[in-house]
Amino acid sequence: MIEGFRLGIFSRGTTLWDGLDFAFGDAGAWFVTGQPSSGKTLLLSILRGARRPDAGDVVVSGESLYRGNAALALAWRASCGYVPEQTVADPRLTVGDLFLRSALAGSRVPESERKERTDRLLEMVDLQGASGWRVAELSLSERVRACLAAELLRGPKVLFCDGMVAGAGVPFWEMLWGLFRALAREGNTVVLAERRIPERWALAAGDPEPVGPFRVYRLPVQGRE
Amino acid sequence: MSERPSLWWIDWRLSRAPLVREAVGRFLVFCLLGVALLSLLLSGGASRFLADRYAITAVLRAEVPSAEAEGLARKVAALPPVRSAVYRDAEAAWKEFLRAYPGLDPLRGAGGNPLPGYIEIRIRPDRLTGADVDLVASALRSVPHVEQVLAGEEGLPRMLRAGRLASWAGWGVFGAFLAGFFLVARLQERARAVALAGDFAFLAERGVPAGRLALFRAAGAAISGFLLAAAGTATAGGALFLALRKFPFLEGGIGPPSDLLLPRTVAGAVLFCCVAALLSAAASLLGWRPAPSGRK
Repeated sequence: MIEGFRLGIFSRGTTLWDGLDFAFGDAGAWFVTGQPSSGKTLLLSILRGARRPDAGDVVVSGESLYRGNAALALAWRASCGYVPEQTVADPRLTVGDLFLRSALAGSRVPESERKERTDRLLEMVDLQGASGWRVAELSLSERVRACLAAELLRGPKVLFCDGMVAGAGVPFWEMLWGLFRALAREGNTVVLAERRIPERWALAAGDPEPVGPFRVYRLPVQGRE
Repeated sequence: MSERPSLWWIDWRLSRAPLVREAVGRFLVFCLLGVALLSLLLSGGASRFLADRYAITAVLRAEVPSAEAEGLARKVAALPPVRSAVYRDAEAAWKEFLRAYPGLDPLRGAGGNPLPGYIEIRIRPDRLTGADVDLVASALRSVPHVEQVLAGEEGLPRMLRAGRLASWAGWGVFGAFLAGFFLVARLQERARAVALAGDFAFLAERGVPAGRLALFRAAGAAISGFLLAAAGTATAGGALFLALRKFPFLEGGIGPPSDLLLPRTVAGAVLFCCVAALLSAAASLLGWRPAPSGRK
C-alpha cells in the first residue's frame, strides 16, 4: 500500500496543491488524471521517493519514505520501475542500452538470460529486433514502449508511468491494458499519470475519486468489462 | 524489495570500447614508466655510472711481497662498501703505464721498473658516499704496506653532489610523468563519467546510492590500475632484460640484468603498482565528482 498524507507542493512562489491524501492499494492498476501543469510528474516523483514533498509524507507498507530510514527509501526506489515522459535522448543511446541500464539497476542476471528476456519483452511491445536501434531515432510511441519494456526487465513491484498511455498511442491501448491487468494480477502495483483517461478505460473503472486537481481511477484487473 | 545490484566493473558493462582504448593507453604508459622506474632503481640514479668510473688506488711500498699484497687486497674486498679490490703488481702497473703512454720504455733503462704495485678498489654503487670512501681510505692508510692512498678526496664531494643532483633530476622527471599520467587519467575518468552520467542518474533514480557507485568505480579503477601497472612493469622488465643482454655497454650505466630480480627491485616495482592503483582510484573519484548530466 502506497499512501500519501496531506501532501503539499509550494513551488514557484505559489501553492500547487496542499493537503492531498492518496491511497494506492497493492495488486492494482491506478490511473491518475490531471490537467497540464497540475503536478502529475511531481506527484509521481514524490510517490517514488525521488522528491520530498513540501508538506505531508508518503508511507509505503507502514514505513515513511521521507521521515524514516534512508536505506528503506533507497530499497523502495530500487523496487520501483519508472517510465518518464519522453524527452530528448542521447544520439548514441540504443534500445539495448536501455535494457542494459535496467539490468544493472536490478539484481544480477546472466547475460544470456537478459538477452532472451529483452527479446521477449520487445516482442511484447511490438518492437521485435529493436535492440540495436537508436532511441533518438524512434518515434514517441516506440520510445515509450521501449522504456516500458526495459523497466519490466527488472520485474519491479511497483511501476510508475508518466504520460505513457498517451505517448504509446491508440493502437497500443489494448495491449497496455492487458499488460497492466496481468501485472496487477501477479501482485504488482501500477500507477499511471495522464492528462486524460481513454474512454473505454474510464467506463470500466467507474467513477473516479477526486483528489485536489486530480482524478484517481482504479482499473478493473479481473477479466474484461 | 529487490536485492542490491552488482556494481563491479560497471563502466566496463556500460561502455566497453572507450575503456579498452584507455586501458591500452595506460598499459603503454605503464610500460614506459616501468622502463624508467627499473632503470632508476637499478642504476640508483647516477650512482652506478659514477661507481663504475671511480676507484681508490692504494699504492703499495716497493718491498711488499706479492702474496702479502694479494692478502691485503682480499681483506680490503671484504669491507662492506667495497665492490672489488684487485692487486696489480709492479709489472702489470708498468704495462698499463706503457699502454697509456707509449714510447716511454727508456724510463726503465738503468734503474729497473720505477712503478710500484698497487690495489685498485671499486666501491659498490649504493655505498658511494663520502663517509664510505673515507672509511675505506682511512682503513688503507693505517696499513704499513700502503705508501699512499689516492681517493680523489678533493673532487669527490663535487662529484657526489653532481651525482645526487642527477639522481634527483631522474626521479623528478619520473615523478612528473607519473603526475602527468594522473592528470590525463583524471580527465579520462571525468570524460567517461560525463558520458555515462545519464546511466548513473538512471541508477540513482532507481535506488542505487551515488556514493556506492563512486566507490565501486574507484575500486574497479584501483584493481585495473594495479593490474595494468603490473603488466606494464613486467613487460618493461622483460624489455630491459633483453636490452641489457643485447647491449652490454648499458650495464655500466644501468646495471646487470640479474639485478632486475633483486628483492629491492621487485619491492620497488610492487610499490609502483600500488601507487598506480591509488592514483587510478583517486582519478576515478575526482573525475566522478563534477560529472554533469550526460546521455539521457
